Amino acid sequence: MKAVAVPRLSHPGRPRRLPLGSASLAPTVLALVVGAVLWELVGRLGFPFFPPLSAVLARLAEMIGKGMIIDPLVTSLGNLAIGFAISVVFGVAIGLLMGVYHRVHAALDIYVNALLTAPSLVFAPIFFSIWGLDRQSIIAVIVMYTIFVIIINTAAAVETVPASLIEMGRSYNASDWQLFRKVILPAATPLTMAAIRVGAGAAVKGMVNGEMFIAVVGLGAVVTAAGRRFDATSVLAVLIVMIVVAFVLIKAVQLVDARLTSWLPPTSRTG
Amino acid sequence: MIEITGLCKAFAGRRGIGEVQAIQDLSLTVHDHEFLTILGPSGCGKTTLLRALAGLVDWDEGEISIDGKPVRGPGPERSMVFQNFALLPWATVLNNVAFGLELRGVGKKEREEKAAHLIQTVGLSGFEKRLPGELSGGMQQRVGLARALAVEPEVLLMDEPFGALDEQTRRLLQEELLRIWEANRITVIFITHSMEEAVLLGDRVVLMSARPGKIQEIVPVPLARPRSADVDRVSQSEEFVAITSHLWTRLRDMQHELQHRGVEAVAS
Repeated sequence: MKAVAVPRLSHPGRPRRLPLGSASLAPTVLALVVGAVLWELVGRLGFPFFPPLSAVLARLAEMIGKGMIIDPLVTSLGNLAIGFAISVVFGVAIGLLMGVYHRVHAALDIYVNALLTAPSLVFAPIFFSIWGLDRQSIIAVIVMYTIFVIIINTAAAVETVPASLIEMGRSYNASDWQLFRKVILPAATPLTMAAIRVGAGAAVKGMVNGEMFIAVVGLGAVVTAAGRRFDATSVLAVLIVMIVVAFVLIKAVQLVDARLTSWLPPTSRTG
Repeated sequence: MIEITGLCKAFAGRRGIGEVQAIQDLSLTVHDHEFLTILGPSGCGKTTLLRALAGLVDWDEGEISIDGKPVRGPGPERSMVFQNFALLPWATVLNNVAFGLELRGVGKKEREEKAAHLIQTVGLSGFEKRLPGELSGGMQQRVGLARALAVEPEVLLMDEPFGALDEQTRRLLQEELLRIWEANRITVIFITHSMEEAVLLGDRVVLMSARPGKIQEIVPVPLARPRSADVDRVSQSEEFVAITSHLWTRLRDMQHELQHRGVEAVAS
C-alpha cells in the first residue's frame, strides 16, 4: 500500500470556495459536508421542528431578500464590536496586572472566578434597569459573557512565562517596565491570543442572549419572533448566520495571532 | 577583584521545615583577569553562589564586593551565561545578542553592529536572522555567550553553560571559549560538575562540598596558556591528569562521607 498522502490536499483546476485557504482546510471542508448531508437526511425524516438544511438555506435566502437579516445583523455586529473591544482592552489589561502583581491577583481572583462561573444573564435585569432597552444593556451583557474568560486566561498566560527568561532579563539589569515590555508581554502573547479567541466565541453568545432577553433588537429579535411562531426553519436560518459571525470573528483573531506569534514552531501553535 | 566574605545562605525546606544550608561561611577572592572554575557535586550551592554574584538572590550573611563596591543587585559590569541558554524565542539571533545592549538604551544601529561582530566571534555568521528554535543546543549557547560578551562585562558568570550539551559539542565549545577568553581575558567564574572541564579552562579550581555548601579546597592549575592552540595535548599532559585525579579522589571521599552521614542520620 502506498504511503498516505499528507496535508497538502489541494484541488488543481478547481477554484477555491473559501478565501481562508490553507493546506489544513481539507478536513474542515469534509466535516462540513458530512454535517450538511446528515442534517439534510435527518431533516427529511420529518421530525416536527427539524427542517432539512435545504429548507433552512432557502428560508435564509428569502429572509435576506426581504431585508430581515442584513439590517438586524448590522445592529448586532455594532454591539458585538463595541462589547468585544471593551472586553479585550480591559480583560487583557486586568489579566496582565493579575499575572504580574501577586497582590492584584490575590485581590481580584475570587471575584473573577465567581463572575466567570455565574450565569451572565443573571445580570441582565440589572442592566435593563439601568439602561432600559438601549444598546448599552446588550453591550454590558456581551462584556459580562466575554471579559472574565479573557482575564483569567491572560493572567494564566503571564504565569506561564518561563522564570528563566525573567531571570535573564533581570541579570541584564532590565527595569520592571523593560522586563514587562520586552520579556513578559511577548512571552505571554500566544496564550493571551488564545484567551481572546475563546472570548470571541463567548462574545457572540452574549450578543444573541442579550438581544433575546433584554432589548429585543438585532438578530436576537428575529429569532425571538420566529420562535414565538414555532418557526424552526427561520430560527435555524438565523442560527447559521450567528455561527458564521462567530466563525469569522474567531478567524480574524487567529489571523492577528498568526502575525504576532509567527516565531512559534508550527507544532506548538494553538488551534 | 571580587571579594566574598563569610557568605551564608539558607533555603527553607518543604513546608517551612528542614532548612537547607546552601552556602555556609564561604570566603573567596577572585582576581582580575582570572578564569576561576567552581566544581562540586549537585546541591553544593555552586549555582546559588553564582546567582548571588549575579545579584539575582539575596543572602543571609556576609558580603560580596566587586572592586570594593558591595553587590546589591545585578550590575552592568557583570553578565551571565545560563545553563538552559535563556534565549528569547521570538527574537532573531541578532536581536538576542543585542538584547543586553537594547536594555541599556544603545541605539539600534550601534547595537546591531556590535552584535554582528560578536556573532562572528562565536562562529555564527550567516545565522543572524534565524530564531533560536531553529538552532542546535550548541549554537544556542553560542548565542548566549555572544549576548553576555556584547555588554562588555568585566566579570562573566557562567552557570554550567555546557552542561546541557552533548560531549562533542561541549568539547568544541570549551575550545571556542578558551580561544575567546585567551584573547580578551576578562574575569570569568565558571560553574561545572565536570572535573576535566574545570581543569582545562580554569586558572584555579574551587572544590565545593554539599550540605552545607563549603569550599573544601582551592586547586591551582599551573598549565601553560594559551591552551586553546592545542587542547588535546593539554588534556593528555601528566599535570592535567594528576590534577583531575586529585579532584576525583576528593570528590569521591566527599560522596562517601555524605552517604555515611546519611546512614547515621537515619539510624539516630
